Amino acid sequence: MIKFNRVYKVFERDIQALSDISFEVKRGEFVFITGPSGAGKTTILNLLYREDLPTMGAIFVDSLDITHIGTGRLPAYRRGIGFVFQDFKLLFDRPLFENIALPLVVRGENMEYVKKLAQTMIDRIGLTGKESLNPWHLSGGEKQKAAIARALITSPPILLADEPTGNLDDYSSWEIMEMLTEANRAGTTVIIASHNKEIMSKLGHRIIRLDKGKVVSDAMG
Amino acid sequence: MRWAKEIGTNLKRSGFMSLISAGTIAITVFMLGAYYIVQSGVTFLARHIESNVEVTAFLKNNTPQDKTDNIIMETKALAGVAEVRFVTKWDAFQEFIQDPEMKAVMDTFEGNPLPDSIVVRLDTYTREKIERISSFLREKDGVEEVQYGAGEIENLINIVNAVRFIAAAAGIIFIIASMLVVSNIINLTIYARKQDIYIFRMIGADESYIRMPFVAEGVIHGLFGGAAGWAALYGVVTVLIAQIRQETGLDLSVYHIFRPEYFSVRLLLYSVGAGIGLGFTGSLLSQLRMFK
Ligand SMILES: Nc1ncnc2c1ncn2[C@@H]1O[C@H](COP(=O)(O)OP(=O)(O)OP(=O)(O)O)[C@@H](O)[C@H]1O
Ligand SMILES: [Mg+2]
Repeated sequence: MIKFNRVYKVFERDIQALSDISFEVKRGEFVFITGPSGAGKTTILNLLYREDLPTMGAIFVDSLDITHIGTGRLPAYRRGIGFVFQDFKLLFDRPLFENIALPLVVRGENMEYVKKLAQTMIDRIGLTGKESLNPWHLSGGEKQKAAIARALITSPPILLADEPTGNLDDYSSWEIMEMLTEANRAGTTVIIASHNKEIMSKLGHRIIRLDKGKVVSDAMG
Repeated sequence: MRWAKEIGTNLKRSGFMSLISAGTIAITVFMLGAYYIVQSGVTFLARHIESNVEVTAFLKNNTPQDKTDNIIMETKALAGVAEVRFVTKWDAFQEFIQDPEMKAVMDTFEGNPLPDSIVVRLDTYTREKIERISSFLREKDGVEEVQYGAGEIENLINIVNAVRFIAAAAGIIFIIASMLVVSNIINLTIYARKQDIYIFRMIGADESYIRMPFVAEGVIHGLFGGAAGWAALYGVVTVLIAQIRQETGLDLSVYHIFRPEYFSVRLLLYSVGAGIGLGFTGSLLSQLRMFK
């Protein structure tokens, strides 16, 4: 489903973020990408999301060469992916409820349906009663959950999450992992950039380890 | 209207800036409206003057009646002639002494020094017509001299044209300036919402969905600016008409532009239309500059 073929990413001033990265992820897989800070984890996710283009090499998603998607078709491509940003990227000019509903609103879905689904997502992440709060007033863990709910509300075939347990306590981290595992069980291909050794080893999924922009190991954890 | 919410957010964020943008449009619409009124007034005046252009042929003393009648007949048959009148020296004299200064001049003569004349009124003014009719009359036996006021009329028309040109140039400058102001203010909104735009793109919003609110913002500025510009014009015109009526007794409100069915309906629509046009173009400029 996802294939990196000899991908290089060089930033200006010769910063070699990725060099000769190749791997494949099958439909329905649950994969961790790990490695020290600056190893290139976020860069990989950004390339997959087509926020950035590789310097060399090809990236295929569903046998579509995503480096050649025109800007006109980019929105449609991105709708097939849920992305959980390291810094959440919630909108602070509208309440939690509207933040979570946004991907559906943007698609022009029926408002009745949007409201029902958004409420279901909010109930699922345990934020019932906080629908009208500005995300500003949510705790870090709550924001993280909101970001995941927003990414999952469209039931995307692919979910990408950048350090979803970054600054959370153990309890919240496991709650988050539970949500992602649930989405994966429902058929979503999940790729997570993470540092959290404990979670990775307990879950026992595939781990791609990077160092200085190279894949150093790729094995089941 | 799934992006109605985003328009609201934009207007809220812009706040005071929206007022400046709408205000600039209002000023421009006011200026254009004032220009339009003055221009159509001047045009009306110019037409009125042009349609009253007269060529006067002064006859030699003791020109026989049948000769005069002949000249009148032939002149009437010419193209571009609206009316031909025979003015006797006594008619002319009566008219002259209406004016006390002229009367004083006349009093220095013994009897009536004025000649009989044939006065030709043209249907519309053109230089060519005047020349043609004058030289026709000049060649007639019995005609002493031909006069017409073409010089003054041409001066007047030149002045009118110059005024129109300057006003049009000022109008264009205003239009461009206000579009730039609108565009810059929308740029500020776009800039303030950069992060939001980024998020919208990331969750797969179409470009049109992202940009529409900014276009709508310009249009809304234009709508309110246009209406405000018209209202200001309405106020100024109403006051001026009242003032002029009081001071000169001249009632301009009968002039078609100032009648309610024109001023309050058609001109309001034009103003709002112009405002929306300005706002829309301004926001399109922003699109070109901010979204590549
Ligand atoms: N836009 C950019 N311009 C220049 N260099 C960049 C840019 N983005 C990333 N880099 C560099 O590329 C390398 C990989 O960065 P990346 O963000 O992928 O690391 P990471 O594995 O996600 O690290 P962390 O665990 O700290 O999030 C780093 O050296 C970083 O400085
Ligand atoms: Mg990172």
